[in-house]
Amino acid sequence: MNTYKFFGSRNSGAKNWYLQRISGIILVIVLIGHYVLMHATPDSGHTYKAVMERLHSPFWKGIDLTFVTLGLWHGLNGTWNVIRDYHLKPWVANTIYVLMILLGLTFWFIGLNTILSF
Amino acid sequence: MANQTAISFFSRWLEVLFNYRKHTGSWAWILHRITGLGLTIYIMIHIIALTGLLKGEAAFNEEMALFTSPVFLFGEWLLGALVMFHSLNGVRIALVDFGNGARYHKRILAFVYVLGVLMVAGMAYLIFLH
Repeated sequence: MNTYKFFGSRNSGAKNWYLQRISGIILVIVLIGHYVLMHATPDSGHTYKAVMERLHSPFWKGIDLTFVTLGLWHGLNGTWNVIRDYHLKPWVANTIYVLMILLGLTFWFIGLNTILSF
Repeated sequence: MANQTAISFFSRWLEVLFNYRKHTGSWAWILHRITGLGLTIYIMIHIIALTGLLKGEAAFNEEMALFTSPVFLFGEWLLGALVMFHSLNGVRIALVDFGNGARYHKRILAFVYVLGVLMVAGMAYLIFLH
C-alpha cells in the first residue's frame, strides 16, 4: 500500500511533491491556451463543428489527453495532500486512498473515451 | 450520530481556522486548498458534461445552449475566479519551491491579489459584455 510516512510508510511523498509542481506548471501553460481558445473567442470554442475539427487532429487530441490526465492527477493528488494533513486512522486513510484511485481511473476512462471516439 | 460528528468536526475546523494566528501566506494557503478542491470537483463535472459530444450534433448544441444561459455564465465567471487565484498562487508556490521566491513571496502575493482582481474583472468583460 502506497500510503505515506505518517501512516507508517517509508514513502515521504517527495516524488508527488515534485510532480505536483511540474504538472501545475504545465497546466497553467495549457490553461492560457484553453482560455484564449474557449472563452475569449466563443465562436471557436463552443460549436459542435469547431470541436469536431479539433478532435480529429492528433495534435489537439494530444493536448486534450494531457489536460485530462494531468488535471485529474493534479487535482486528486492535491486532495490527497489536504487529507494527509489530518490525523486519520490508517484504515480510514487507506480506504480514502483506494476510493480516490478508483474515482480518478473512472473519470480518466470517461474522458479518454470521449476524446478517442472521434 | 454521524451527522453530529460531522458538525462537531466542522465547528472544530472553523475554530482552528479562525483562532490560529495567520501570517501573510496563511490565507493564500487556505484559499489555495479550497479553490483546489473546488476545481477538482469541477474537472469531474466537466468530463461528464463533455460526454454530450458522443450523442451527436443536435444533443450537443442543446447542451451548449444551456451552458451559455445567464446562470451558467455567472458560474463560469466564478469558476474563472477560482482558476485565476489557484494558477497565480500556484506560480508563486513554484517560485518559492524552485526559485528564490522565499525571499520575496510577500511581494508576489500582493502581485497575485492585484493581478487576480484585474484579470477577474477582465473576465467579467469577456463573459458578460463581449
